[in-house]
Amino acid sequence: MVAIIGVGIIPFGQHLERSIVAMAMEATLAALKDANIPKGTIGACYFANAFGGMLFGDTTIGQNLTAAMGIRKIPVVNVENACTSGSSAYYLARHAILAGECEVALVVGSEKMCVPDFGLINSGATELDTLLGMVVPAGFALRAQRHMYEYGTTVEQMAAVTIKSRAHAALNPYAQFRKIETLEQVLNAPMIADPFTRSQCCPIADGAAALILASDNFAAKYNRAVTIKSSVLTSGFYDNQADITHWDTDYYTANLAYEKAGLGADDIDLVECHDAFTFSEILHYEALGLCPEGQGGQFVASGQASLGGKTPVNVSGGLLSRGHPIAATGIAQIVELVTQLRHEAGDRQVGNCRTALAQCMGGDKMGDAKSCTVTILSK
Amino acid sequence: MSVQNTIPLVYDNILTSGPDFHLQGGYCPDCDRYYFPIKESCMECLGSVDKADLGKRGIVYSVTTIRTRPPLGLPQPYSVAYVDLENVPLRVFSLMDPSEAGQYCIGQTVELKVAPLGLNNNKQVCLRPYFRSISSPQETDRMS
Repeated sequence: MVAIIGVGIIPFGQHLERSIVAMAMEATLAALKDANIPKGTIGACYFANAFGGMLFGDTTIGQNLTAAMGIRKIPVVNVENACTSGSSAYYLARHAILAGECEVALVVGSEKMCVPDFGLINSGATELDTLLGMVVPAGFALRAQRHMYEYGTTVEQMAAVTIKSRAHAALNPYAQFRKIETLEQVLNAPMIADPFTRSQCCPIADGAAALILASDNFAAKYNRAVTIKSSVLTSGFYDNQADITHWDTDYYTANLAYEKAGLGADDIDLVECHDAFTFSEILHYEALGLCPEGQGGQFVASGQASLGGKTPVNVSGGLLSRGHPIAATGIAQIVELVTQLRHEAGDRQVGNCRTALAQCMGGDKMGDAKSCTVTILSK
Repeated sequence: MSVQNTIPLVYDNILTSGPDFHLQGGYCPDCDRYYFPIKESCMECLGSVDKADLGKRGIVYSVTTIRTRPPLGLPQPYSVAYVDLENVPLRVFSLMDPSEAGQYCIGQTVELKVAPLGLNNNKQVCLRPYFRSISSPQETDRMS
């Protein structure tokens, strides 16, 4: 087993004057302080960033971080895997420790997206789908429209995801959007891609988050260590004419993580999932087994995904309200799980939180995700 | 010289030649599997893929309309859809006729058109294939 012994995060939002490295360093210093270890203890660094090359021409940024911090001679791996960049870096770091390559690993995700004319994200400028107008909101909107058609899911149920998200984020000082939003406000916001209004799409953001992972032996002296029960990374099925209301990649990855952890959906006290859009969260409820297939809309509208509900989801505010600095997101989700499992989440603490799950998805290929991660943690 | 001969196509090898355009894709005879666009090799057997005429009609499987600022010089708003092709077991992602943006629904029968629409990655006007409606929805009674 591998444990998480330190976490660090900076508030997500606009950090116009700060570099990718500066944000990463702040999160890393917070994680080192939380773990109470000197920088020389770090045996490997897994650094996630998705847009630095495209927006700023910066590559191998992980070494820029470690050099700036005087962390020398260790393996540094730079990871880009779309929205799962951070959770993929975490997946790799855990494997390095399991393989005995190091005792302690640093995982950092840092992203700067708040630049002029950022526009809509696509999945590759030369892909045919992109050239025919596929942008990220469209892919999820097409799934939402079909789900509405098949199951009668309503715009009000989707709006309930945003309403819940804002209510949770109001309790999280690291979140970007912390004001309560009403049903009318959500539905009357400008339409982005039918049926998603702007309030139902996650905002871009600058931000960084960091984790310190350690072997069981090293973590034994830590009372606040959190155990990684399983960590799974998969890629898409890429089946043509698949049922897009049942995301096979999502179901498969969740089931694999449950199987490896020896746990099931009923064991999960808290979920952080990839709510890039309101409807994506509804699909993830179903894939993660929190509710029967087709009933994700009712699940959120009845309050079962809210703090105090059956299985609270995205109590941090999630991508919709915390913000979505791509490569930091997967790590921020795990920071939230660790904080909750330690019972250090203050006003947003999930009662009796002992087992928690984080799910993330990235990219778009042939109508499928390019990557999907699920990890299950326990205290 | 026709417009189609002077304006570049947005992506190579996606249309059959001739005035009555059909989608062109690939077919693996060993795996009985179709592809759009055509691939270098079959993703199942990794064998060669033949060119295949995929026809020009299909049924809308799902559709949405992008109303925010569009990419690639596309009109605002513009609709996109997954279309299940009539002649082959294949679902394709497609642009829809901008003059009908926001008017499509699941189950509608649509037919391929090709016209100058938006810009390519070199910021040149280019031809794009898109579908337009030729009938009202066939499946809407499923929800009633």
